Amino acid sequence: MKVYVINGPNINLLGTREPEIYGYEMIDDIAKKCIEIGNKKGIDVQFMQSNYEGELVGWIQDAIKNKIDVIVVNAAAYTHTSIAIHDALKSFSGFKIELHISNPHLRESFRHVTFVAPAADAVVAGLGADGYSHVIELLSDLPIKVN
Amino acid sequence: MKNKLLILNGPGLSDISLTDDFYGKITLKSIEDKCLEVCTKLNIGLDFRQTDDEDKLFSYLLKDSEEFDAVIINPIGYSHALTAEFARYRLAIKTLTLQKKPVTEVHIANIFKQGSDITKPLQVPEGEMGFVSGLGVYSYVIAINAIFKKLNKVV
Repeated sequence: MKVYVINGPNINLLGTREPEIYGYEMIDDIAKKCIEIGNKKGIDVQFMQSNYEGELVGWIQDAIKNKIDVIVVNAAAYTHTSIAIHDALKSFSGFKIELHISNPHLRESFRHVTFVAPAADAVVAGLGADGYSHVIELLSDLPIKVN
Repeated sequence: MKNKLLILNGPGLSDISLTDDFYGKITLKSIEDKCLEVCTKLNIGLDFRQTDDEDKLFSYLLKDSEEFDAVIINPIGYSHALTAEFARYRLAIKTLTLQKKPVTEVHIANIFKQGSDITKPLQVPEGEMGFVSGLGVYSYVIAINAIFKKLNKVV
């Protein structure tokens, strides 16, 4: 199984940005953990982050081209604004999970709109930075068709 | 110490029997069996409940929850219904989260697929709550795993 974990703007600041909300774990630690769990489960995990909307769209298109089985996407602030990411995800026929470290629906009202969720199969939010490893851990139990 | 978990299922879930294109057949019994399997493996004491009675649901949430370390709730329509029951539900969850008790809202289907104008997850400012939607029976599984990790975190 091949998985892209795609992260949006400011996720590179994890560990230092408002740690009371996002936790003290750095993005490299999270990436390492996801890849380790993947190795144990026979899942090829590629972890990426960009602050640019177009680059995120490009990676989703790469996922289509490279026949990736699962996209886990934390579009961060673009979740609430990006129709381009919504459209790109709709073109990806594999399994799609929207992920957030905090629960956006418990926060400011401008975070209550999500353009990602209606284009995704599932949403996981508010489980902290551990949400990433919980999701990767679960993937092999789901009835996902592998290319 | 053994963790105690309360899983609450709201109105209408008693006779749930759906065949999902992706997850196959899902019934309340199959959800309970799966939750029990995961909790047994993690040595969590599980109390799995369902009620169609609103008063009972709130009594479970606010009173009975005192005996538990964490709560998982599938509120069905409560989280987004525009009724007095919604305000009551929201207050109950807020009370729990302010007690620093891990609470996670779960839904079998992705509630956003029905249009985000119609369905919304619960909005509780100041609270802290996990949210999982669209993983079928596994919405419960990931919530149990996350709660177990949170309750047993070595700092």
